[in-house]
Amino acid sequence: MKPMITFSNIDKWYGEYRALTTINAEISKGEVVVVCGPSGSGKSTLIRTVNRLEAIQGGQILFEGHDIHGTDANVNRLRSRIGFVFQSFNLFPHLSVLDNVVLSPTKVKGIKGSAAKKQAMELLDRVGMAHKAGAYPGQLSGGQQQRVAIARALAMEPPVMLFDEPTSALDPEMVGEVLSVMRGLAKEGMTMMCVTHEMNFAREVADTIWFMDAGQILEKATPEVFFSEPSHPRAQRFISDLRSH
Amino acid sequence: MIKGFDLGPILTGEYAALMLQGALLTLKLMLFAWLLAMSLAFLLVVVRLTHNKLAEHLVAAYVAYHRNVPTLVQLMLWYFGVPTLLPESTQLWLADFSTEFIFAVIALGLCQAAYFAEDLRAGLRAIPDGQTEASRALGMGYVRSMRYVILPQGVRNSLPSLINHTVLLFKNTSLAMAIGVVELTYATREVENYTFRTFESYLVATVGYLAVSLVLMGIGALIARRFDLARAR
Repeated sequence: MKPMITFSNIDKWYGEYRALTTINAEISKGEVVVVCGPSGSGKSTLIRTVNRLEAIQGGQILFEGHDIHGTDANVNRLRSRIGFVFQSFNLFPHLSVLDNVVLSPTKVKGIKGSAAKKQAMELLDRVGMAHKAGAYPGQLSGGQQQRVAIARALAMEPPVMLFDEPTSALDPEMVGEVLSVMRGLAKEGMTMMCVTHEMNFAREVADTIWFMDAGQILEKATPEVFFSEPSHPRAQRFISDLRSH
Repeated sequence: MIKGFDLGPILTGEYAALMLQGALLTLKLMLFAWLLAMSLAFLLVVVRLTHNKLAEHLVAAYVAYHRNVPTLVQLMLWYFGVPTLLPESTQLWLADFSTEFIFAVIALGLCQAAYFAEDLRAGLRAIPDGQTEASRALGMGYVRSMRYVILPQGVRNSLPSLINHTVLLFKNTSLAMAIGVVELTYATREVENYTFRTFESYLVATVGYLAVSLVLMGIGALIARRFDLARAR
């Protein structure tokens, strides 16, 4: 089967600093990839190149066969098929929860208001936020905001969801509610790429773990292999550091 | 010498009518200048957002001129100065019309656009980058992202200074008397000349200006409160 997302020889520079070095990887339909690694290793940069929030200087990213960074790519159309969840939620503060979810389906996809609202309420119900449909983001806790942000991304019915450290900005007691929504998505067969420091989540939900350091993917393995017998020395050190805590 | 305090002559008959006409023209001047200023301000902001160096310098020069030269001078430059640059036939043609109103709208509108543009720019700059990223990640292009996500928040952020500058524009309409627009201040001086009721004339004008300014600020407070409710924490 053809992979849904293919990274071929991705290079990314910030001036003189090389943030990503010759990344080669694939994500298949239905696969859950968790990207982990120390801070500053390029995880967030990598996930942000997938929907072109970051430019790349070399290589090619194919999404459903389309060259995302190609000069003739229809970026808006491609982005509308890639759900993205941010560390800092980025809900639109001037819109109610419901309007946050409805905005893009109606304005980008052209879905009728009533149909979009119905769909939005179903999604909000799925993330346990239907009772706050009329509230504004500023009235919600971080965990609630992130769950709304997931519903907002799902409203475009994307075949793939990207999560960029979705729980890093949350108080510890709110991490669980967001992870359980993500766990549910994975169970339903959603293709997912997650950058996260939640190693229990990675162990439990991931099909594949990519371990990154210094802008490179050093190891790709199943959670069983990665957590028990990683092959790269840097990954071994990462795992033993985790155990010692 | 006229003795005693008596508002009667100003609040009745032809003088009252003259004052009322002046007040209406003030409001009309304000309305047209405001619309011109606000549309132009959005245009200036959008031009500035293109990050084209030349365009940015042009907008900066525009803002510098209009904020640093007295509004009265700007008015006179437009009314007395600009027509002299036009071909003679156009000047003669213009002379058939009462152009003072239209030049007052242009001068006040262009001047206020500089203030409004700076207000809007400050409001936009306060919006975190994440808002743009989130809207773009949902598939919105530049125009949709601006229209539905960025500008509504920018306008909310700049609302207090937009209201202040709207009141400033309202007060500045009185300068148009210098080029012969018979707005409220001009009319007041006429009435004062005819009636010799100097204090009473200016008192009525003062109350009129004050009332409209307070209404403008009240409207601003109402809108601001609606936005605050939407963002209650």
